[in-house]
Amino acid sequence: MATDDGIVYDRSLLGREHAIGSFEVTGEMISEFAKSTGETDNKYLGEAANTENVIAPPTICNIFVNNISRPDIKLQFGDLSFFAGQSVECKEHVRPGDRLTASTRLDNVYSKTGRSGKMVFAVWKTTFKNQKDEIVALVDESFVRRNRNK
Amino acid sequence: MTTENLYFEDVELGDEINPMTRKISLEQVIGFVSVREPNPSPSRFTSEKIAKAEGLPGAIVPGAMNIALMSQLITGWSPTVSLKKIDVVFRQMVLHDKPLKLTGIITDKEEDVEATNIGCDVVMENEEGVKLVIGHAEFTLPSKS
Repeated sequence: MATDDGIVYDRSLLGREHAIGSFEVTGEMISEFAKSTGETDNKYLGEAANTENVIAPPTICNIFVNNISRPDIKLQFGDLSFFAGQSVECKEHVRPGDRLTASTRLDNVYSKTGRSGKMVFAVWKTTFKNQKDEIVALVDESFVRRNRNK
Repeated sequence: MTTENLYFEDVELGDEINPMTRKISLEQVIGFVSVREPNPSPSRFTSEKIAKAEGLPGAIVPGAMNIALMSQLITGWSPTVSLKKIDVVFRQMVLHDKPLKLTGIITDKEEDVEATNIGCDVVMENEEGVKLVIGHAEFTLPSKS
């Protein structure tokens, strides 16, 4: 059962929105993202990367959530952290020339106990909007903290 | 990628999505992380030495790249697929230069007046059949009607 009983962290951060920046998406970025993952579909690669027909692969917003600096939730548990999981909800296509603005918030902190003992999960939700203020993607990331096996 | 245009009516529960195989090289990972940060600093993703110093067995494929591969399994099935959501759990480290097999199986199928919705479970496993990344995706296909 998941619970947040007894987890010590900065609860004032829960639900508070933090701007994480504005990012321009270029045709070259889309093309490089697609090529690096072995994509062969021309709707992502394009004949020429800046044509109007090119769209970005659905998870491209992920490159902007990597290594962002989030507020420290001051979690008082564990000494080992992992990236546990992620979901990406695609709302609108991202195209060359789009300017995306992102904000993130701490959505949930809870614990579970498994074979390796207690684990505490922190879930962050990040919203990406384009220059027309349309939501293009919702990205949830789950990070887990546990104690090293002695 | 299949060239066949799939429609909602063509898909049944239990259908398998065409499997995809990949082996991710250091050059591909550098290409991926460079999209955002040209000339990236060495990290657990791009340096064996740093990865091993962090207690990992070797340089690993970034989670963001793994979810991109999982989504490619879905979008590559047919040009008519439109991915709505993908949700994955990272169960094991994905190492460079190891053969990976990605598979999917249809688990849900719904249609209402506004849209179609298809659900599928997706898995990335290594040569030994160990599940490295598991998840669920939702996508739409056009209806013939």
